[in-house]
Amino acid sequence: MLLPSFDYYHPQSLPEALSLLGEMGDQARPLAGGTDLLVNLKLKKLAPKVLLDLSGLEELQGNGTDEGLVSLGALNTASRLASGGPEVPGLLAMGAGSLGSPQVRNRATLGGNLVTARPAADICLPLLALGARVVLAGPSGQRQVSLDGYFKGPGYTVKEPGEILTHVLLDAPRPGVGGGYQKLGLRQAMEIALVNVAAHLELEDDGKTVALARVALGAVAPFPMLSPGAAQVLQGAPAGEKIFTEAAEAAAAEARPIDDHRGSAAYRQDMVRTLTLRALRQALSQAQGSKEEQA
Amino acid sequence: MSGNFEVIGSRAPRKDAPNKSTGKARYIEDIKFPGELAGALLQSPQAHAKIKRIDISKAQALPGVVAVITAQDIPDVKYGVSPARYDETLFAVDRVRYVGDEIAAVAAEDLATALKAVELIEVEYEPLPVLLTVEEATAEGAPWLHDQFPDNVCAQVEQEFGDVEAAFAQCDLIQEGSFFSKRQDGAFIEPNQCVALMDSDGVLNLHSSTQVPHYVQRTLAMVTGLSMSRVRVVKPYVGGGFGPKASATPIDLAAGFLAMKTGRPVRMAYTREQVFLFSRARHGFTHHMKIGVKKDGTLMALDHQATLDGGAYSSFGIATVYYAGSLLGGPYKLPNMRYHGLRVFTNKPACGAQRGHGGVIARALFEQQMDVIAEKLGMDPIELRLKNMMETGDVTCNDLAMSSLGMRECIEAVKNGSGWDQKKGKLPPGKGIGMACGFFVSGAGYPIYRSETYHCTIMIKADEDGGGIVVYTASAEIGQGSETTMAMIAAEAVGIPYEQVRVKSGDTDFGIDLGAYSSRTTLMTGHATKEAGENLKAMILETLAQELGIDQSRLDIKNGLVKISGEPVDFSAIRTGYIKEHRGWQDQPSGEELTFREAARLAYLRLGTLVATGKYKPPVLGGKYKGAAVGTSPAYGCSAQVAEVSVDFETGQIKVERITDAHDCGQAVNLTSVEAQMQGSVSMGLGEALFEEVKFDGQGRILNPSLGEYHIPTVMDMPETKCIVVESGEPNGPFGAKEVGEGAIMPTIPAILNAVRNATGLVLDETPLTPERVYLALKKQKGA
Amino acid sequence: MSKQAITLTVNGVARQALVEPNQTLTSLLRDELGLTGTKHGCGVGDCGCCTVILDNETVNSCLVLAMQAQGREVLTIEGLAKGAELHPLQQAFVDAGAIQCGFCTPGMILSAKALLERTPRPSREEITKGLSGNLCRCTGYEKIVEAVQDAADKMSEA
Repeated sequence: MLLPSFDYYHPQSLPEALSLLGEMGDQARPLAGGTDLLVNLKLKKLAPKVLLDLSGLEELQGNGTDEGLVSLGALNTASRLASGGPEVPGLLAMGAGSLGSPQVRNRATLGGNLVTARPAADICLPLLALGARVVLAGPSGQRQVSLDGYFKGPGYTVKEPGEILTHVLLDAPRPGVGGGYQKLGLRQAMEIALVNVAAHLELEDDGKTVALARVALGAVAPFPMLSPGAAQVLQGAPAGEKIFTEAAEAAAAEARPIDDHRGSAAYRQDMVRTLTLRALRQALSQAQGSKEEQA
Repeated sequence: MSGNFEVIGSRAPRKDAPNKSTGKARYIEDIKFPGELAGALLQSPQAHAKIKRIDISKAQALPGVVAVITAQDIPDVKYGVSPARYDETLFAVDRVRYVGDEIAAVAAEDLATALKAVELIEVEYEPLPVLLTVEEATAEGAPWLHDQFPDNVCAQVEQEFGDVEAAFAQCDLIQEGSFFSKRQDGAFIEPNQCVALMDSDGVLNLHSSTQVPHYVQRTLAMVTGLSMSRVRVVKPYVGGGFGPKASATPIDLAAGFLAMKTGRPVRMAYTREQVFLFSRARHGFTHHMKIGVKKDGTLMALDHQATLDGGAYSSFGIATVYYAGSLLGGPYKLPNMRYHGLRVFTNKPACGAQRGHGGVIARALFEQQMDVIAEKLGMDPIELRLKNMMETGDVTCNDLAMSSLGMRECIEAVKNGSGWDQKKGKLPPGKGIGMACGFFVSGAGYPIYRSETYHCTIMIKADEDGGGIVVYTASAEIGQGSETTMAMIAAEAVGIPYEQVRVKSGDTDFGIDLGAYSSRTTLMTGHATKEAGENLKAMILETLAQELGIDQSRLDIKNGLVKISGEPVDFSAIRTGYIKEHRGWQDQPSGEELTFREAARLAYLRLGTLVATGKYKPPVLGGKYKGAAVGTSPAYGCSAQVAEVSVDFETGQIKVERITDAHDCGQAVNLTSVEAQMQGSVSMGLGEALFEEVKFDGQGRILNPSLGEYHIPTVMDMPETKCIVVESGEPNGPFGAKEVGEGAIMPTIPAILNAVRNATGLVLDETPLTPERVYLALKKQKGA
Repeated sequence: MSKQAITLTVNGVARQALVEPNQTLTSLLRDELGLTGTKHGCGVGDCGCCTVILDNETVNSCLVLAMQAQGREVLTIEGLAKGAELHPLQQAFVDAGAIQCGFCTPGMILSAKALLERTPRPSREEITKGLSGNLCRCTGYEKIVEAVQDAADKMSEA
């Protein structure tokens, strides 16, 4: 399959990239891993005149922790995230590790997954559950946007065409915090989720009471969504089957799936319930495990 | 039965494996010709429409475009697979019948230009009603896709063997069930591709990724109007076929015409999406069966109806609809069988043949119903099968002769191999175990066109120095290992080591071979190869006997050495002669025995180049009834499988955890290759059972024409597979060998269905068993 | 934009090529450098046939621009054997009967190579995960898994 014609630029710094982007407007598309963008070009879904390869931007590389806040560079590959490490929350590693195939994970990036904003995106869901913010650099400087409010539609976010997503910010992993990721598909690999759920739990010092919870749902709305109902049910309640079941019910009620050739809305709704429950159990076990580890 | 073989039955490494492991093996895309043009097809975006107007002027005017052809530029010749149903034209004449139907082709200096030119061809369509289902196509007043096929009936089969109604009257239990399957895709990893060029002899050469060089040669000759001798088809390495590559493609033909028109080589390739559009893969089947048994489990009668959603053209469909009925004649004794088969045209890509041609879903339903019957009669499913199975020498009610049948051995092997008795009825909740059997032809008894032709011919030439032999065969190595198989058979027949045999294959200049389909190559091409090898050996030994002045019956060749029985014979003159001829060489023959090398060299010196030939066609087979040809074969392979699954009741997800598989291949020529065919069959069957479905929207467009959205199993989806090879010794096969390539897929789907039933109690009637289908069935069961 | 010159290392050898912006790494390897062992399969990252190792990581070369290989190191299937001697993985694939049509083989072997670099003694689960981006329709994967296990054993002994 042929790629359409385009010009290729390989800027070496963020200011250079932003300036090129500013000149060319929406004729240009930033290129990170290319696992989504190049496919869309080949399928003639997109026809940008220019590809702006971001791989030379030091500013988008690397991770760091500062005062309990982790900063992840947009060019982190899914493989890198999947292999974990001190800065990468377990939940994010799980999501990244279930994306596509090893070859795709070796190219697909954190920033790319957030910008392409697919409804079932394996990296977006964990980040949404983790309460992450994205850093967008534009001609007039940087801005931070909470992921809750970042997604607008399939492939469509609040990012302006002249902006580049440079980083993701999130709370550093700490004891008493756990995540669960559940993905349902036909195959065990190379699969876009039929439904996926990411759950994040923070426990009080008692190791039981839920201090904070977020449940993110995939493939059941035009973009990755949070279930405020589930969060509300969980917050302040003792973690366990009873409250998890209620939260799963709340998540299912809030999911807005549609019928498509991959599955019916009704089935997806039921699966939100099942997967939410499983993700919460997994999150609790991880949270309690991290607590014990500390003790 | 493993006979006393030197080469047959071993695990000789495949001839093609080293080159395939290093990237040296060349497939069509790796072979370039000077001055190549790139071709591209214009395919219909409409599923059913009249063509009012085609304007190619803008395309022709595009710089870089060398030729544009439509139906107007080529002879008006209909072609297809079965001559009785030639219903295709290369380009739509006045009507398109599916999304993908070919309208025009372009040759240009490069692919981008060719694709651009295709976009510039203007076509005005007048939409016709789109018929996407059997129901729509057979509804009162539905338009006909083809004027010559009333009511969109492509083929109808009515057969009855014995007296089904009378038998039902004697039955204690009559079990009924239905099954619905979805269209599958071959999903071979190399998309179809070809290059056509005129050579200096004025012969149209087509290099193509095909399973059937001979049939492609015939079709290309017929459609272009050239004689067979003016068309040569060459098949390099091929990246899988599985059935859908068993006929000429529109790109084979279009590239041929474009090469003739431009005088330059023309390359055409399908994208993955176009592979789906061409299809010719597994039909969607609907089966209904009524099975009658006595209370002791004796099978009495089957009443069977099948409806096939055929797509827009006949392709292999006539054979498919017959196979769907005839392949239930065995492997159980079934004295009475009635079959009503119907294949219907719809506005979708044509379906054709795929591994287990026609029989897979019929087998799935029958084996599922066998399990239900066993339960109703209070029998173990294995006991019911053992009670009814056929044995060597049995003939089915539809005249298929089981000249060897290791069914009992297969059943017992999987029973023991899986630990059936320890597991059946004793598994924890959510786990299930199930088994099924099947059988399949070892090559279709008749060619696709009516002819007394040999099905294959072989030429073996001995190297002039006696160092080895070359086997020339037009058969098609498509990954199954036929080159290796022929090398092993030739080595055994001639009596030399495997390493001394080279195989040249896949070129119609080498002779006749009907190709790689219907699991025919090992038995049929194997027979011809064996015969050629034996003839070569006889030529050599005859000369040697004369030279030594002894009776030829005292001579044989084994493992590269001449075996002389009786009194010792002085062959020193032959050896001295050979050594003198090869002064300077370091590896002169030595030892107490005369070598093949010396004997073959001697024969060359006396006779000139040694060429021996072999040929094969099956004897007249089968019954006299209409359709009797489909299902006949010189031999039948059979198999049994046990599947173990776990079912997630909350999501409907099924995981196949283990498959125990036994197959009777008569005699393994290459044990590794036999296992490899068994394992490959399991994976294709598993994919069909759980994942695979080509889906269409309301306009007849495929929704999932990619390997990302059409799900074939990945390595992570595969269960542990235990293979047990059963060797019953087939009297009609070369060295006792028969098929393994397709029979091995037969039990996979029903074994999984039966294991799922064991885990859930559900008799599921629709594949693929997606989580959603299983979940909904579980929910319904819970509600009921 | 016209062709641009790039330099890269392919199978240990420094190479130069003139490439179009819209040329893929698959096309660079196959069409410019004549390394046709890298197979062109689906073109969209679904099959893994075009897998090569780019700076020690497997990638679908159909989804990498040739220009993105500038200054980088590529290993293709042609770079594994030492002269006539097959790489232990290649030999294991031959010996185990893990090759049928062979179209997935180059990519499969390269995925296995990358896996064994990271995990010299992989479990069955690690092998299947490591090869999960390479589709094979012929073998059912069983003998491929065996081959990787055998090669791992041999390479660890050596």
